[in-house]
Amino acid sequence: MSLFWQCIVDSLLLGGLYSLMSIGLSLGFGVTRIINFAHGEMIMFGAYGAYFASVLLGVDPLLSLPLVSIVVAVTAAVLFKALIEKVLNAPHINQILLLFGLSLALQNVAAILWTGDARSVATPYSLTAYEFDLLLVPHGRIIAFIVAAILIVALFCWLRFSELGRATRAVAENGQAATLMGINVSRMYMLSFGINAALGAATGAISSFLLTITPFMGFHMLVKAFAIVVLGGLGSVAGTIIGAFALAFAETWVSYYVPEGNGWAEGVAFIVLLFVLIIRPKGILGQAVAVH
Amino acid sequence: MKLRIVLYALLAIAAILLPLVAPPIVNNMILRIGSLVMLAISWNLAANAGLISLGHSAFWGLGSYAALLVANKLGWPFFASLVPAMIVGAVSAAAIAVITGRLKGIFFAIAMLALSEGLRVVAVMTPDFTGGGAGVFVDQALRPTTETVAMVTALCAVACAAIAYLISLTPFHYACRAMRNNESASEMLGINPLRFRIAVLSLSGAMASLAGGVNIWYSGFLDPMIGFDLHVTILAQIAPILGGIHTLAGPIIGAFATIGLSEATRTLLGEQGVSLLVYGLILVFSILYMPKGIVGTWNTWVQYRSRGAVGAKVGTTKAAPL
Repeated sequence: MSLFWQCIVDSLLLGGLYSLMSIGLSLGFGVTRIINFAHGEMIMFGAYGAYFASVLLGVDPLLSLPLVSIVVAVTAAVLFKALIEKVLNAPHINQILLLFGLSLALQNVAAILWTGDARSVATPYSLTAYEFDLLLVPHGRIIAFIVAAILIVALFCWLRFSELGRATRAVAENGQAATLMGINVSRMYMLSFGINAALGAATGAISSFLLTITPFMGFHMLVKAFAIVVLGGLGSVAGTIIGAFALAFAETWVSYYVPEGNGWAEGVAFIVLLFVLIIRPKGILGQAVAVH
Repeated sequence: MKLRIVLYALLAIAAILLPLVAPPIVNNMILRIGSLVMLAISWNLAANAGLISLGHSAFWGLGSYAALLVANKLGWPFFASLVPAMIVGAVSAAAIAVITGRLKGIFFAIAMLALSEGLRVVAVMTPDFTGGGAGVFVDQALRPTTETVAMVTALCAVACAAIAYLISLTPFHYACRAMRNNESASEMLGINPLRFRIAVLSLSGAMASLAGGVNIWYSGFLDPMIGFDLHVTILAQIAPILGGIHTLAGPIIGAFATIGLSEATRTLLGEQGVSLLVYGLILVFSILYMPKGIVGTWNTWVQYRSRGAVGAKVGTTKAAPL
């Protein structure tokens, strides 16, 4: 029975991280209608930022998180202006290949700068845990969950109540109508891409003390984020959170109850993805997003 | 026109016979370029119908494993093993075509990405069947000489190019192009998109699997990281983009250019990461500044030149056939 509760707790904690990991991707798609194949690299740069802040300056990843997110967001906004904006109206194939190329280039810039060695940040809370009877709840995971929850709530509040947030939603709903209302659409695109990157970098910063950091960590997280976003419904931010918890439960369940589950759990995301595409391509909460 | 075809045929025959006299290093190049020509043509065929694959390594890996398993478990020789490789590629591609149904563009790209990653996990997790993460060697007794493998690679590459050429002469080609531009409109003209998608993807999958199947006989070793390597996916899309997407000559020229670039960066700069970085930058800059690739840019230049020489003959300048 304790295995069951352990499984529930682990899934919930993992779901928080997954929500943060994929919500930026979902928001970015909702607004710009471009899938950011370089999202995994935002996560990776966030993780390296937190790592170097911790190793060189002795700053805790939680403290360096805001700064790292802002730096990555600004860099991403510049990349958006310089490269991605040029293909906004180009055929899909150009958008996909451009971002795929960008992701490849960023990955290997990191590999050349920092080698392919696996690293991780040691914090006071990464090796300790609460113990209730037989239930083990690592401190690091709880902290990651709380940070993720705060950022997601902040994002929702921003989208709902702030002027820019409402403008973002307006652009996501109908870009042309938003233009007529006097919203600077291209600036909103850049802003949402920057926020997308900031959320990715924040994910990276909190995974820096949970996972191993390598230049290629982003790719695996990207594919998982895809599975989550497609499961929740492309462009639906609320659906993304449901998708994140669903994938977290599925993965944890497989790794606990299937023989050799740890290895198979890596494949759950792909199976989920293929099944969703077969059964319900618009996902759980998918709105009538035009399928291009 | 006739003369041109004869010239191409002679070139092709020369490429197939070259391994007989060439030193090993040239054979190695023939193998790499030939494999990439197959992959690039295969990728371009799918792209012609509007299907952007981000997981061509899935077909490559399936073909490699099919060839390896029939050789090791059933004792099939080199030539025979290529048949199941192609069949596995074609069948799995057809299945993907059915699964992704009407979903094009992004969904298809993501589905392919997931497929190749998922297959890698399966290959790692079923060691009794595939040899698992430790990998397996091809039965040494069955291995043909390097010259034979190089000749077959060149032959297969030529065959793929010939098939692509023949397709470009049939209405199939135009149906694909119509689907790429506007699927609903093509449906109104009596094209059944699903049937065409299955056909084009099966052909594409068979070609990529064939390339994987041939390659395994050259390298002699396979593990999931090699079979479902992201590198293959990247090369398969870079070659056609660089050469000229949606053209006949583009993937072939692109394959030569890509291998050339990769050799140049390797000798000049060394590290593995650098060549991948260069690939990434090529993708970004090709899309931004040369979206029609080498062939498209060349054609534009030739048209511009001829127009400039004869005067404003805009009305009579026809688009070049390639």
